[in-house]
Amino acid sequence: MSENKTSLWQRYLSANPVTMSFLAIFLGFVVGAAVIIFSSSDVLHAWTQIFNSPGAILHAIKVTLDNVGAAYRAMFTGSVFDPTILWHALTTGQDWTAALTPISETLTYAAPLVIISIGVAISFETGLFNIGANGQAILGGIAGTAFGSMIHLPMFIHLPLTLACGVAAGAFYGFIPGVLKALTGAHEVIVTLMLNYVVAFFLLYSLLSTPLQLPGQVNDLSRVILPSAQLPNFFATATTLRVSWGILIAIGVVAFGWWFLNRSTLGFDFRITGANPNAARASGINPKKIIMYVFLISGGLAGLAGVVQVDGTTHSLDGGFLIGSAGIGFTAITVSLLGRNKPINVFWGAILFSALGVGGRIMQAETGIPLDLATIIQSAVVLFVATPVMVQEIFRLREGTLHTVELNTKGWSS
Amino acid sequence: MELVSTLVTPDVVIRRDTPAGRTRVIGAIMSLMALFIFWVFALGATSKASSIITFNPLNTSGGAPWHLASLTLPSRVSALVLAIIALAAGIETIVRVPASRVMARFGFVSILFLLGLFVWTVRSSGPSPTNFIDITDVLVNASGITMVLIFGSMSGIMCERAGVVNIAIEGQFLGGAFIGAIVASSTNSFVLATFAGAAVGALLGWVLAFFAVRYRSDQVIVGVVLVTMIASLTNFLNLTFLTPFQQYNTGVTPSSIPIPLLDKIPIIGPLLFNQDMFFYMMYVLVAGMSFALFKTKWGLRVRAVGEHPQAAATVGIRVKGVRYFNVILGGAIGGIGGVAFIALHGQFNPGFTSGLGYIALAAVIFGRWRPSGAVVASIIFGLTSMLASGLQSFDVPVSSEILGMFPYIITIAVVSGLIGRVRAPAADGIPYKQD
Amino acid sequence: MLFMRLELKGITKRFGSFTANDAIDLVVEPGEIHCLLGENGAGKSTLMNVLFGLYSADAGEILINGESVHFATSGDAVRKGIGMVHQHFMLVPVFTVAENVVLGFEPTKSFNRVDYAAASDKIRKFSEEFGLEVDPDAIIEELPVGIQQRVEILKALSQEAELLILDEPTAVLTPQEIESLIKIMKDLAASGKSILFISHKLKEVKAVADKITVIRLGKVVGTGLPTDSEEELASKMVGRSVNLQVEKSPHNPGTPMLEVKNLVVRDERGVAVVNNISFSVCQGEILAVAGVQGNGQSELVEAIAGMRPVESGTITINGTRVDNASPRECLDAGLAHIPEDRQRDGLVLKLSVADNLVLNTPRAPQFAGRGTRKLSKVRENAEKLVQDFDIRTESVDAPVGSLSGGNQQKVIVARELSRNVDVLIAAQPTRGLDVGSIEYVHKQFIRERDSNKAVLLVSSELDEVFSLADRIAVMFQGGITGVVSPDSTREAIGLLMAGITEHTNV
Repeated sequence: MSENKTSLWQRYLSANPVTMSFLAIFLGFVVGAAVIIFSSSDVLHAWTQIFNSPGAILHAIKVTLDNVGAAYRAMFTGSVFDPTILWHALTTGQDWTAALTPISETLTYAAPLVIISIGVAISFETGLFNIGANGQAILGGIAGTAFGSMIHLPMFIHLPLTLACGVAAGAFYGFIPGVLKALTGAHEVIVTLMLNYVVAFFLLYSLLSTPLQLPGQVNDLSRVILPSAQLPNFFATATTLRVSWGILIAIGVVAFGWWFLNRSTLGFDFRITGANPNAARASGINPKKIIMYVFLISGGLAGLAGVVQVDGTTHSLDGGFLIGSAGIGFTAITVSLLGRNKPINVFWGAILFSALGVGGRIMQAETGIPLDLATIIQSAVVLFVATPVMVQEIFRLREGTLHTVELNTKGWSS
Repeated sequence: MELVSTLVTPDVVIRRDTPAGRTRVIGAIMSLMALFIFWVFALGATSKASSIITFNPLNTSGGAPWHLASLTLPSRVSALVLAIIALAAGIETIVRVPASRVMARFGFVSILFLLGLFVWTVRSSGPSPTNFIDITDVLVNASGITMVLIFGSMSGIMCERAGVVNIAIEGQFLGGAFIGAIVASSTNSFVLATFAGAAVGALLGWVLAFFAVRYRSDQVIVGVVLVTMIASLTNFLNLTFLTPFQQYNTGVTPSSIPIPLLDKIPIIGPLLFNQDMFFYMMYVLVAGMSFALFKTKWGLRVRAVGEHPQAAATVGIRVKGVRYFNVILGGAIGGIGGVAFIALHGQFNPGFTSGLGYIALAAVIFGRWRPSGAVVASIIFGLTSMLASGLQSFDVPVSSEILGMFPYIITIAVVSGLIGRVRAPAADGIPYKQD
Repeated sequence: MLFMRLELKGITKRFGSFTANDAIDLVVEPGEIHCLLGENGAGKSTLMNVLFGLYSADAGEILINGESVHFATSGDAVRKGIGMVHQHFMLVPVFTVAENVVLGFEPTKSFNRVDYAAASDKIRKFSEEFGLEVDPDAIIEELPVGIQQRVEILKALSQEAELLILDEPTAVLTPQEIESLIKIMKDLAASGKSILFISHKLKEVKAVADKITVIRLGKVVGTGLPTDSEEELASKMVGRSVNLQVEKSPHNPGTPMLEVKNLVVRDERGVAVVNNISFSVCQGEILAVAGVQGNGQSELVEAIAGMRPVESGTITINGTRVDNASPRECLDAGLAHIPEDRQRDGLVLKLSVADNLVLNTPRAPQFAGRGTRKLSKVRENAEKLVQDFDIRTESVDAPVGSLSGGNQQKVIVARELSRNVDVLIAAQPTRGLDVGSIEYVHKQFIRERDSNKAVLLVSSELDEVFSLADRIAVMFQGGITGVVSPDSTREAIGLLMAGITEHTNV
């Protein structure tokens, strides 16, 4: 019995993927803490005083913990659950649903992130680097907004068609790098990056010119999506909870992603092509077709993410749509790496990173620490995920079933 | 890795730089550009319209020592002449399919296109023109971005020749620019800022090498993540540090250093010999790298490491050492590029390099991993960027947002249409494993 | 000149739990050509990599002229006078001969510039001294393989090697090139250089060796002399008596299933590497294409499998034209293909054995329906094939990359034969396999032939060709120089392989 326990414990401590992911997340927060410490003048000042009085070192440690703690506490209460709100609601008899606001916000942000990350994971699994998901999502959002705000139809066709418009626009925009790579060999990394900048200009253009700009507006704001095309709120009555049916779409996409990569014949072709393009060709798969399909699917999901974001949450576009500090497409890259391209893991990764983003906003409001900290933590987590050997060395882990993150990316001339 | 088996056959194989099919495509593109000149620039101007083109530097203090008379050209006729020459060049390329200098022909037609664009943008409807374009000014404006791109592409070449894909140039720009702004603002010395930028760039290079060489992580992932991280870190520090302490981001710019006599040459003088210190640093860098990579013992070893690391290892070259050294050096060059960018812009703004680092990467590929090629590519991209921002001040019936897309679309066109499949250093991007 | 006596004492090298070299002792005297004979996987290459400083030994020592040395890198080994000609040449393809030869030991002039004039002079000097003619300014990738090998030798000599290691040097050479290599080796030995020659080919070893050391499963199992009989050496190498002769029924061909007419195929450089070839393979026969590697066989196979464009001519599989068809169309026309480079073209190492066993039939109705794979059926199929073809694996879910080379090849053979189609084409199907796996694969081919399939076997191993073929087509420089019966002599086929056709009777 005790032997069993040890072996189980040892298994936890060996370098298996789950342990590694948690350790990578932990290390990411350590990096974030370091950034807070080195950028907070209070903390730095406290440490410069440690030789002045005997208790100063304790004071310095306390200041450090206070600062880091305040930041991470705000992140947590802002994104998961805030006990004080619940307590307040219970004691005053006010609406207790407010306590659900943080988690509702997290899920609101997670919905598009899950969808786009599944798309990116599919491209990674095929050895293609879709860095253009951000642009594809933005174009999806523009198309969805245009259709949803300017066409009048009954809801049961308006809503699905609005979503379909987003998918089609994203797929179209994904198809450009796909077809260029398949036919001319242009490297998808550069093409997709450039397309991201192109679409950013296009977004501004469409928000500042006639059909899409909100009439009477001079700023970069779009028309508002008509109620008949909006994704309904999940809790129709509770107005403070913004989470929409988009989260259900996201769960559906996860199911689709799981089926596609693990069960479908086309997904099998994708995986073969990603792992060994030569063998794929010899086995009768046409790699050029696969490249185009990958970008169509990946782009289509990115477009869906964009339209879900605008249709379920913001209901109109502005100049900062989906761009934020790093852009949803880049977060999606980090999420799919964190989830090692496995749709279910990607789902949890997306929830985590949304929580970081949502909590980061609250943290910024409460402590003044910039929201960018969330992105720094995310990037650090991914660096650690991409380098399992280092994490293993840091924690002196025994070798386990170590799966390095392999994207099957090739050199430039591939 | 199987070696390509070779046959001894009497067949003579003509090695072309550009395959015939692609040459014809390029010729067709040239002809299309000619038709565009004819259609839009020639027919788009009334028969009476005329355009003024001047060559005098606008911002020379104390007045230029020389003066070139401005040219007043009939807009439609000039554009027509340009269109005919361009069409001739395009047709010649399609019909004769020259074995070399295809890109030179393409460049020539591009210049004609540019001239046509200038003539068209400054056209005035009557015979007495009111608007004008200053060629020297246009080129000087474009030279700044071009210089930053050259720094970036040298950083890329330095890394990729040794077999490490450097997709993090953008991050090195941002890091260098951030520290450069602080040091330049607080010390008023761009020499110190350069050292600081180089140090930060080198540090970022070391991080890339640490993950890519030591732990053999995927170089594209590490590069992309590093860019994201540096972008958010500089945003973060901008808010926590530069916003409250604005004395560290005052927006100083270095003064120009005219080279005596040479700066008096019309057009070329202000463009090449009356620039800030970074411009001259760039000359030295490009010349030095071309020499070092292709003439010296060091360069031979670096290229061997980038092409066939196992072969390099068997003759006792320390592959990982070479890669570490080059990636750190490349990072330092990228960091200096960031300081050069600050020298151009003055103040640091979050994310203000807006993808320039990635365009520099495209210049590396377009330039076929050679410093000279990357310089040509950077000039093309620099001119396009300038056009995007410069044309907005003229009466052009295209919105500034659409113009803003131009540099990126041109980059895509270049990467996919014109160069086609390029031959990177064979081991570029492939982690080296000892044993 | 400094002569070298090399002695290895108790060299042991382990990879995890696997012992690749187990206490190996070996002495090479100055001016001696010493052959290291052993099967694929016996540990020859590991030993050479230890000797050349690429691996460090776990135990044992290396003595040069009685003095113990330690090599941390191959640079150390080179400085001590050891030169190596690798099986896969360590030459930078885009560099010139001169650049490759001086790499790591560059003569320089001012500003650290490489002195290419001095380098070329040095190369010419060595070329003359050892009779290795080569143009210093030629680009490596434009040179034939034989000349590339010459550059490797020259490189080692210019680094003042006294001991030259040649790792399987003849695999890629034409008979004439082999002859000239043997002459070069003898000349070098006569001038006092020591040579360590690694091979698994008995005939070459007998032709060139002064002394022979045989290793098996990482251990020295005996020594021999060139005068020993082939049978004696072979049984030492394999550890039991070997009979590579396969029993088969008389040749009884049916109707032609694979027909190739006037086929022309070009390689990447535009050279017609398959030049106007015609042949056909009938039901119930094995046609072997013999020839030295690099005479167009690989391109011929790729063209038939739909992986390389056909310039002119036709290919017909069971009545269906498949020239310039896609690989999918070729597979559907009834082609089973065992590719030359199994890890590159035949398997996806990351995927499971089960998935690899349906790699080119994932959409067959028994394995998938309406776009969804039937994974339980895929597993069942795998369990059965693993049993039938004796594939040694922990489970059908293990990644195929975790299997040994022989078992990986069995996965491909099982997959292709289980598709039960009319034409089997196999390129170098036993390269790199141990004798047991070779025998197994051979038996499967005979079984296919006896069940009335058409088999096209491309092999550069003459023993394999002789033991399996019903007819032998010999390829040389893209053409077929003759089609002969397996009763022909080795000498006759050797002449055809060298392109000499005067005395052939087809």
